[in-house]
Amino acid sequence: MALKGLDIFKLTPKTNCKECGNPTCMAFSMKVAQGAVGIEKCPYMSEEAKATLNEANAPAMKTLKFGAGETEKTLGGETVLFRHDKTFVSQSVFGVNVCAGCFDERIAEVEKVSYDRIGEHMYTEALNLKFSGDKAAYLELVKKAMGHGRALILECTCVETAAAALEICAAEKPILNGATPENYKEMTELAQKNGVLLGISAGDLDALYDTAAAVEALGYKDLVLDVTGATAKDTYANAIQVRRAALKDKDRTFGYPSIVNVAKVAAGDATMQTALASMFVLKYGSIILMDSMTYAQALPLFGLRQNIFTDPQKPMKVEPGIYALNGADENSPCVTTVDFALTYFIVSGELERSGVPCNLIISDAGGYSVLTAWAAGKFSAGTIAKSFKELDIEGKIKNRTLIIPGKAAVLKGELEEQLPGWTIVVAPNEATGLVKFMKDYK
Amino acid sequence: MGKFIVIGERIHCISPVIKKAMEEKDPAPILKRAEEQLAAGATYLDVNIGPAEKNGEDLMKWAVTLLQENFDNVPLCLDTANRKAIEAGISVYNRSKGKPIVNSADAGDRIENIDLAAANDAIAIALCAKTGIPSDNDERMAYCQEMLERGIGLGMEAEDLWFDPLFLVIKGMQDKQLDVLGFIKDLSDMGLNSTGGLSNVSNMTPKHIRPILDSTTVAMAMYCGLTSAIANPCDVRLMETIKSADIIKNNSLYADSFLEI
Amino acid sequence: MAFKRVPQKFTATVNEVTIGTGDKAITLGGENVLPLYSFDAPITNKARVGVQITDAGYDKTVPALAAYYAGAETIADIAKKASEMPGADFVVLSLEGADPNGEDKSVEECVALAKEVAAAIDCPLAIQGSKNVEKDAVLFDKLAEALQGKNVLMVSCKTENYKTVSASAAIAYSQKISAESAVDINLAKQLNVLISQMGVKAESYVMNVGAAAAGYGFEYVASTLDRVRGAALTQDDAMLQMPIITPVCDEAWSVKESIVSEEDLPEWGARETRGVQMEVATAAACLAGGSNAVILRHPESVKTIAALIADLT
Repeated sequence: MALKGLDIFKLTPKTNCKECGNPTCMAFSMKVAQGAVGIEKCPYMSEEAKATLNEANAPAMKTLKFGAGETEKTLGGETVLFRHDKTFVSQSVFGVNVCAGCFDERIAEVEKVSYDRIGEHMYTEALNLKFSGDKAAYLELVKKAMGHGRALILECTCVETAAAALEICAAEKPILNGATPENYKEMTELAQKNGVLLGISAGDLDALYDTAAAVEALGYKDLVLDVTGATAKDTYANAIQVRRAALKDKDRTFGYPSIVNVAKVAAGDATMQTALASMFVLKYGSIILMDSMTYAQALPLFGLRQNIFTDPQKPMKVEPGIYALNGADENSPCVTTVDFALTYFIVSGELERSGVPCNLIISDAGGYSVLTAWAAGKFSAGTIAKSFKELDIEGKIKNRTLIIPGKAAVLKGELEEQLPGWTIVVAPNEATGLVKFMKDYK
Repeated sequence: MGKFIVIGERIHCISPVIKKAMEEKDPAPILKRAEEQLAAGATYLDVNIGPAEKNGEDLMKWAVTLLQENFDNVPLCLDTANRKAIEAGISVYNRSKGKPIVNSADAGDRIENIDLAAANDAIAIALCAKTGIPSDNDERMAYCQEMLERGIGLGMEAEDLWFDPLFLVIKGMQDKQLDVLGFIKDLSDMGLNSTGGLSNVSNMTPKHIRPILDSTTVAMAMYCGLTSAIANPCDVRLMETIKSADIIKNNSLYADSFLEI
Repeated sequence: MAFKRVPQKFTATVNEVTIGTGDKAITLGGENVLPLYSFDAPITNKARVGVQITDAGYDKTVPALAAYYAGAETIADIAKKASEMPGADFVVLSLEGADPNGEDKSVEECVALAKEVAAAIDCPLAIQGSKNVEKDAVLFDKLAEALQGKNVLMVSCKTENYKTVSASAAIAYSQKISAESAVDINLAKQLNVLISQMGVKAESYVMNVGAAAAGYGFEYVASTLDRVRGAALTQDDAMLQMPIITPVCDEAWSVKESIVSEEDLPEWGARETRGVQMEVATAAACLAGGSNAVILRHPESVKTIAALIADLT
């Protein structure tokens, strides 16, 4: 728990000496509790007191890594509950549950999904290896799962099997998700020995809390909390309460990343798993596990995650280039807009809806919207002409019609000067008018 | 941070109309002033029944019930030197819109009003003074500490003690104004809530000057972290200033019509 | 030391707005906790699911929609089937064909359609306009008049036409209206202020603060929803305490993922599955942000989201 002013006050000498610059020890203590002044301002604090306070001032949520090399993923380290307060720092990691019996089938599905979106490679980053009671089969599963370029989670509460599994894959830095109120001592020892994160699960939040505290008392703090409950409702409540306790109420025992296995509360219902996964992207799932991640599921979920974990201060940008839409070729007309991802998606979406083949040309406009970029001089006749050269538009495209955004209509004249031989056409102000405009234009 | 809380000061027995209404238990003048203040943007209403040594308990109960019944359980600030009257008021008080405020405790004779607030899960206005005006901020802080320890010791949350730095009149104490603001900043740095009788500042200045001095004071004090004031919400300039400062402090969301709501 | 729960139960609450009449009327809002935080305090009115049909019926290129509505010939038949879809709480008639830049169906034709729909269903009705502000001002006026007593929700009025829609639909004909802003929290609040200044009571309007499909700038939607609900509850901002309705399907079914055919991108799989997943993921994210009602199209989405709401409330 965060120390309150009164707790800190108890550690002060209570002499009101004012050497810290405050009239009383209480005033000083209250300010320390608020983070307004540092504890070191008091020359009379004991080392013990300082240690207590430093511990209390450690980050509210630990930053931890699992996986090794290319599969390494960062978890936790969040400081806020809402992304408008500050950026969410560690993207949710998506994983698929695999077991001895279903591995081949599921890995084949998982490996199908691999694509790039706004500068990010999209794929399922983790595999959750479920133990079904058969040690030999589990060890086979571990061996099979290695080498698929995905971080591993060992969901295994059997100490003996987990030990054997770690002998095989410890170098891959998996998460050992196996500690329970019953076996946590042995599991902690195992995780500690192998230097891997330890996942803890328990019947309810109170038991989870007590177990986490007990593991901490054993001196191990590289923990992940499996907040999956008996129902979707419990799981949602757990995920939120754990994160809120850590960040808002400064309860460090819950200051660890979470695992949410939506397949356990929506078994056999892939669509419900998508719905739940979507909620846990927003509400505090550090690792989200599902039974499948098909393209249909991945497209919205990875896209949502990309949205939610962006820095609110930095707009998402798409790469400048020629995007051929609706089967456009060198004879199709050109359309241009800025590189702000949202603008790109809206414009390309509407153009695709029109069904009219066209080449969408994106130039570097600093990731701003049309009007902002124009006002900042980043979307001008000059910058468009420059990018036409850089992208060698005239070499690649024979058509000489360029459609520009309605909001940048003022550029028409200058563009005609800068791009001789081109016909400049002004599109509607709003992207929603594009479908009709393109159809009519054709 | 939450929005700045205005405690409307206009139900006060010093006003002849209110005094008469309280004596005669005539609801109309009291309801009228309550309605005006709420319409103007007050959150809490102060109910000052004076010393009320004789019939205080009965009067406070009557006033609390009257106001809460007519204005959807409006939260109230019970203002009298008669402790029993405050307790009586709380006994009939509906907390659905906010805890009652005990107005007020200090570090002197009235320190037991903190006990009263603690025992009744109420908010206490804690005047950082003992007898007369504190000489400097060290003295204010010492009183603050005394009351804070007492309240917390009795199980109160620190946020339920609203410390009053004691606003001082400009005519006569001009050189102390920055001290008061500095103390508000100290309270804010300590994470404490604060309030005070804002119009003390402009006491005895010409009528047309008062809104200007009051609103400038509130803007500066809000920058220092003042969280509430006992003030006249019917002062348009003052309320516009408070609303604007709340916008600038991001305590409430901007909309073009923010002054109208 | 045991886990200390610190519930966030607010004294402020989201307004309650009822649409429809009789047994099947539904009430949106009323909660005093963050979205679906039923562990902090009970949530009185669960979030609701509206099923969208259009003046042209439904999207016949989606096989399951075609199968579900098979045999429904008239708009009334289609509406009735929509109202019977498992998980449906209300029917939403989208008059997209009224857009002057599209089919430009006449106001009279739209009113006639809406009356048929209203007569065919016993659940509440919401009507989405043409999205053209001038046309909608007239359209909502005539619809509100024709559907008096049905307690219909008109989705939505904007800054350009709130005056006529407020005066007519909300005040003169006692229907419910929705205030639409596009992912702009200050404008959302301002529009609510203006509507309240028109004399529309808090129990008579909801808001649509904007939507986007998952992956399409949803961070703006998420933060707008978070901040709207934050202001309503933590700052007790009465001008942001309206229940939120989000027409998810309009966004979810118009992005590339839900449009591109399987022939064009075979590795993506069936278009319909993609559309459903997009609709479901977007709706779930909106609910987590605080939507009190979502508008959907596909039977599987409707079933899943209704079950999700039931599970979490």
